[in-house]
Amino acid sequence: MKIVEIAKKNKLPLLVALVYAGLFLFSPDQAMKSVGNSVYYLLEMMQVLPVIFLLTVVIEALVPKEMIIRGFGKNSGIKGNLLALLLGSISAGPVYAAFPIGKSLLKKGASISNIVIILSAWAVIKVPMLANEAKFLGVNFMAVRWVLTVTAIFVMAYMVGKIVKKEDMPADASDLGVLQINEDYCIGCGLCAKRFPEYYEMTGNKAVVRKMPEDEEAVEALQASVKLCPAKAIILSLEDVDSEKVRKELNISNT
Amino acid sequence: MDIFTVLFWVIAIILTVISLVKDQKKTFEAMKKSKGMMGNMLGEIVAIIFIIGLVLTLIPPETIKQVLGSANTLTSTVISALVGSITLIPAFVAFPLVGSLVTVGASIVPAVAFLTTLTMVGMVTFPLEKKEFGMKFALTRNLLSFGFAVVIALTMGVIL
Repeated sequence: MKIVEIAKKNKLPLLVALVYAGLFLFSPDQAMKSVGNSVYYLLEMMQVLPVIFLLTVVIEALVPKEMIIRGFGKNSGIKGNLLALLLGSISAGPVYAAFPIGKSLLKKGASISNIVIILSAWAVIKVPMLANEAKFLGVNFMAVRWVLTVTAIFVMAYMVGKIVKKEDMPADASDLGVLQINEDYCIGCGLCAKRFPEYYEMTGNKAVVRKMPEDEEAVEALQASVKLCPAKAIILSLEDVDSEKVRKELNISNT
Repeated sequence: MDIFTVLFWVIAIILTVISLVKDQKKTFEAMKKSKGMMGNMLGEIVAIIFIIGLVLTLIPPETIKQVLGSANTLTSTVISALVGSITLIPAFVAFPLVGSLVTVGASIVPAVAFLTTLTMVGMVTFPLEKKEFGMKFALTRNLLSFGFAVVIALTMGVIL
């Protein structure tokens, strides 16, 4: 049961592992070469992902929602588009690193058009890349391609913004449910941490949340943990709640 | 690590420290949320990286060079755009490769199509994009990017 669940959640990694296993059997040379090719990208990932993690934290915790809406929201206009272009252009790292950032901004009120600009600029416009292009293909070539690409990005952003609506986006993890423990009620029985070690852990004699539910299945499973808690200290809020508000309601102190 | 990545690190760390000083509890809460989101993505990202490695073995730079330099400009433009969409080779490999072709007189149209889809269209990262932003968003963005890459290539052929 457990294995099936894990496999279901990790379809892509499993598929890739199977392909590689097959390749190692029938063509070990090519398999080794592929692993070797991947190493460069793995190193790149390790250099960039921790930064992305910190930045999503900063967007979530430090940057006020109004600021994102003003900067990147629906009514931010050309200024918002240029800001998005700048943000995407000065960033470092492969395009998949832009996905979490884009998602965090989207959640805080950025418009879909500006997300397209950030993702595209992140992928295409990089200062070291432009320098490299000018070196091998000439400044002229680089400049013309840059102008055309930026134009295309803006037109595309406008089109995607018209075609795709917010309702077409998948529900975000933290929109699904915010998991909280009221420390004042927690009696430290450890039941939740024992049953759901992925989501709860014990620090001292209180339970704390380790991880927010990441998909609908997790939310469903975690509803059992709410029922499980003898002190009714676990709260799973199901709509997109402002954590500030929840904290106030729960009367959890900030210290 | 290049200077930009280093700068990226420095900025992220400074902002995180500010966030921690301002509201420790809120920051830790955000870390838990991000951990959930990124943890969910990590397996996919590693899988994608190994797909990239595999694609590089199956479509090595030499093959790409042949495609880019082939005689019929129109077909080679479309094929180059497709190859660019599938592969994900580092810029420091792509630019010298294209540069060497252009200097020996190959048409720049397929070259530009390849360079542009290489970064703008992500067939390999598509599953992740779909998961994070939905099928409609990922499909629209990638299809439009492909179309515009060809338009950019043709325009450059006319201008330069």
